[in-house]
Amino acid sequence: MPNPHDHPTALKDLQDSIYREKVLRARAMTREERFIAGVELTNEVSRRILQGAMARLGTDDESVAWVDVRRRAGRLRKTHDYGYYSLEKPAQ
Amino acid sequence: MTVEELAMKVISACEAEKLDHMLTGAFAFNFYAIPRSTKDVDIVVDVTGAVKISALINRLEPEIEFRGQVQFDTLTWGKRHIGRPAQNSTLEVELFELFDDPFVQAQFKRKRRLVLPQIGMETWIPTPEDIVVQKLRWGRSKDLDDARDVLATEDPETLDMPYIQNWCAIHKTTDRLEAALASIPPL
Repeated sequence: MPNPHDHPTALKDLQDSIYREKVLRARAMTREERFIAGVELTNEVSRRILQGAMARLGTDDESVAWVDVRRRAGRLRKTHDYGYYSLEKPAQ
Repeated sequence: MTVEELAMKVISACEAEKLDHMLTGAFAFNFYAIPRSTKDVDIVVDVTGAVKISALINRLEPEIEFRGQVQFDTLTWGKRHIGRPAQNSTLEVELFELFDDPFVQAQFKRKRRLVLPQIGMETWIPTPEDIVVQKLRWGRSKDLDDARDVLATEDPETLDMPYIQNWCAIHKTTDRLEAALASIPPL
């Protein structure tokens, strides 16, 4: 099977095909269904993040895993917010 | 705590304090685009009246712990207050104070009522056009993807494109709008 990464045009076609499929699937849903899907995705992601942390730390204690998850999430937020938020507003 | 429980907690607190509000961020994005997960419950709150943001924060604490210091976004210098559920969660609450930026005011004025009995939620969200304008204005990589996704899913033929184009001209983000539209493959 040819590797699309070797052919920029083929890679773009593949990216467009994947994106098209995502958009058409979203369009087939009602707005309310999309909203609720986002809620369900968020809750599922949160559950899996916790499970991943428990596996990585080798613990059955959720509270231990939550400490690690929250620390990592905090670092990620700081990275994403860097340069976009400030604790001081410049003088007018 | 599920994300919808957290969102409803904040919405209910806004209503209890009689503060006009609007759910924004990924919640609103999902209504108009390709559903994705989020790590924040983002709410714009009108605190231009007698009730101050501290009243809302006091009502939400101690279940949601807020950082003492307000943050300012470096694009419009709007104020943001960040809270985190006291119990275990990856989520955060971001309260954005409504302020006198013309677009922020227009977006808030045009908000739509959203009623979702399936998950027991009633709130307000921005229009798709206003989400596109806001995302293009911020211009981070994720924002540009989000703007493209709303344009693709809602379809430029059904959106009020002159409204979007007008604000993009004011914000000098027309090039971003054109790039977003050009990046949508034929559907």
